[in-house]
Amino acid sequence: MMTRQSNVSTRAAGAAWVLAGAVCLAWSVTAEAGEFKLPDYEKFTLDNGLTVYLMEQHEVPMIYVSVLTPGGAIHDGTLSGLAFLTAEGLLFGTRNYTKAQIEEEMDFLGATLEARAGLETAGIKASFAVKDQDQVFPILKEVITAPTFDAQEFEKRKKRLLVELAQAKESPKQVIRNYYYRFLFGSHPYGNPVQGTPQGVESVQVQDLEAFYAAAYQPAGSAIAVVGDFDTETMRQVVTDLLGDWKASADPIKTPDLTRGIPRHRKSRVLLVDKDDALETTFIIGARGIARNNPDYIPLQVVNTILGGRFTSWLNSELRIKRGLTYGAYSGFVTNRVAGAFLVSSFTRTKTTYEAIDLALEVLDRLHTQGIDAETLESAKNYIKGQYPPRYETPGQLAGLLTSMFFYGYDESFINGFQETVDGMTVEKANAIIKKYFPKKGWQFVLIGKASEIGSRAGKYGKVIRKTITDEGY
Amino acid sequence: MFAVPWLLMAGTLLSPQQAADEVQTFTLENDMKVLVMEDHSIPNAVTYFFWKVGSRNEVPGITGLSHFFEHMMFNGAKKYGPKEFDRVMEAAGGANNAYTSKDVTVYTDFFPSSALETIFDLEADRIGHLAFDEEMIESERGVVHSEYTTGMENSNFRFLDTYLTAVAMIAHPYRWPVIGWESDILSWKKSDLESYFATYYAPNNGVLVVVGDVELEEVKRLAKAYLEPIPAHEPPREVHTVEPEQKGEKRLVVHKQVTSPNVMMAYHVPETGSEDYYPLVILDSILSEGNSSRLYQALVDEGQQATMVFTYLPRAFDPTLFYFYAVCSHGVSAEELEQGMLQVVDRIVEEGVTERELQKAKNMRLMELYRNMETLKDKANSLGTYELFFGDYRKLFEAPAAFEQVTAADVQRVAAKYLTANNRTVGYLLPPEEEGE
Repeated sequence: MMTRQSNVSTRAAGAAWVLAGAVCLAWSVTAEAGEFKLPDYEKFTLDNGLTVYLMEQHEVPMIYVSVLTPGGAIHDGTLSGLAFLTAEGLLFGTRNYTKAQIEEEMDFLGATLEARAGLETAGIKASFAVKDQDQVFPILKEVITAPTFDAQEFEKRKKRLLVELAQAKESPKQVIRNYYYRFLFGSHPYGNPVQGTPQGVESVQVQDLEAFYAAAYQPAGSAIAVVGDFDTETMRQVVTDLLGDWKASADPIKTPDLTRGIPRHRKSRVLLVDKDDALETTFIIGARGIARNNPDYIPLQVVNTILGGRFTSWLNSELRIKRGLTYGAYSGFVTNRVAGAFLVSSFTRTKTTYEAIDLALEVLDRLHTQGIDAETLESAKNYIKGQYPPRYETPGQLAGLLTSMFFYGYDESFINGFQETVDGMTVEKANAIIKKYFPKKGWQFVLIGKASEIGSRAGKYGKVIRKTITDEGY
Repeated sequence: MFAVPWLLMAGTLLSPQQAADEVQTFTLENDMKVLVMEDHSIPNAVTYFFWKVGSRNEVPGITGLSHFFEHMMFNGAKKYGPKEFDRVMEAAGGANNAYTSKDVTVYTDFFPSSALETIFDLEADRIGHLAFDEEMIESERGVVHSEYTTGMENSNFRFLDTYLTAVAMIAHPYRWPVIGWESDILSWKKSDLESYFATYYAPNNGVLVVVGDVELEEVKRLAKAYLEPIPAHEPPREVHTVEPEQKGEKRLVVHKQVTSPNVMMAYHVPETGSEDYYPLVILDSILSEGNSSRLYQALVDEGQQATMVFTYLPRAFDPTLFYFYAVCSHGVSAEELEQGMLQVVDRIVEEGVTERELQKAKNMRLMELYRNMETLKDKANSLGTYELFFGDYRKLFEAPAAFEQVTAADVQRVAAKYLTANNRTVGYLLPPEEEGE
């Protein structure tokens, strides 16, 4: 099946599963004329420090659970891939269930259960029919509180992950962000590839998973959101009975001061990754972005909608619609807790590489020289408001939103005030936002393509650092 | 018949009949059918225009034209010229996408319900009066060429599938890829587009599904005002080519820079909605859905021969292919992985499946149906898909009962009937250096 365009909002959030709540704003709304409101929910804390969110949604007889812990890849250190393997390891077996039993039982019920690490957090997500909750909750409890990290299952997964890391490099799209984040953030933890590097994964032992779990998966510092077809008072008791006796068995993981050690790139640089069989060049042009808690987070999304966040955005208009150079061109901010990245990404046939990149740079420049006019701003405001409600339409989306609110420290006022913030955008404010936040120089380029054909001209953008795609890591 | 509780609406479990009654339908005088499902959970709505045209309607020389045409539907009509469709829609808060398969082309709009009339205006303009601007054709040709290239660059499945399907099928137009052959992408003419438009984009060849914060009467009013004036055309010629029975196993090897071999197999199977369709879906599920499935357990988990495995049974108007795909672990040859896959298949043919596996697959189908009705867009896509592929959107609500009737013996029977050597094409994707071995 072929589609007209890759979904722009999906691509914005796609890089890090657990970060989905952080890179897109959202709300769910009641249908009353223009009033945007997150459905009511209850938030409380268990005696052991676990934060619980409960939200009733009765449209389908299903329950969705989202659990969030601080067990993200920023804590990997030299064991690149540790957080990723630990999260997956939650499903390698528990005190009373083997891996095979967990999988057979969940599959039999048509339920879903997954555990994944992102850059800053790790999470567990489950969905199941209301009628099956008595079978699912006991398994979920053990996955969260009593994983046993079976050594044999670990070795199997580790071996497979090593092969997958090599296979991922067959597709530039799958790996270009790993190269970009490492190039932009250097050795700072925000440059860590979530799935790890072969060298790191090779070094991880099953005992490392046990230790990482003990430190990063603790009731205090974690949150669970349950959204679906239930009665809140009953579910409060269910969750309390289920997780009330979860206890920490080690000192909690310490998050280093992430505001330090982020490289400042005054000069443009180019990372040229040679893939000698490439048919096209996949590229990112980027610079430092913003943190998730930036007060101008929403205004920035409005401006980015115009630059590269929708089909008629300037980037897509120039590169795709007018010139036919690519299937899609996109820009966006990827936001972490204390810092983030801005990036423009696209791809084009090898021979049009520099035509496409030069055009993207022209568009970026136009943002500063030309600014935004009233009509375009109005259109972007309508667009971003009109496309918001479906982002938090389902119980699964809402559960993810609630745990994201917990970690990134915002509440429903952010959601419920979204429309007002967007409406408050003026041309002056938009242009001030551009001046303040949108980079002008010091671009960091990543090009994955056929170096024998594109290599000689890369130097026009800045100092060129060369790699081969089969080189270890990113 | 086994009554499966369906959607929970306003706190009540609905029967399949009651759930189907939530969908209202009417047909315009030009024979365009409209399905409407009111859903006021968010102040948004979606329109899905399904057209019965896909790459199966193409012939050599214009392969990929259905998909290219889909792109051209956004490039200007009578009232709204080039670039206006997207500009007007986005300014009204709407977004859109579209997809083309071997059988259908579907245009999807997602918008705040306040923009409903704008959407009808935009859609009616292009359905009634599409225009083809030479400059836009050339620019869009570049876009689709990039889409072709990026697929070949980034997806080994796309690469191997392109070559394998062309070997497995010899006569039916399913044999070429939806995106078309590269040389055709570079050679379409404006006249090809014009004739395609006249042939396939007739109101009597389409179905509209509207789901969301809308009222039936308002949808009716707008459909009558905007869509009804577009005249019906003579129905397009039927695709009458029938793929001949395969008379022996076929094999192929293709090369690309991969770190480990990929293996694909395809078996001829009947069309969607045929008698054997439901048992085949259950077989598909037992083979590869979830980590407890047969192929995952044997090849990825216990055998560690593959890093991933899946099976794929496309929905299709005509007899199609049932695909198996797996990627080798390091040190495992394509031959070894193929043998591993065939052992799993043979075991089902010889011993059948267990009652628990059967029930598991049925439970998964029921939960999938729930999940496919969660969002406005999922609802619209599910309703339209059933209307086109099963001839009636009501079949969506009857699907759980249809699956419920499948027995373990049915599953074994269809496995034995279709998963045979003579009916099979096997393809290897290998790195270049293995050539000649």
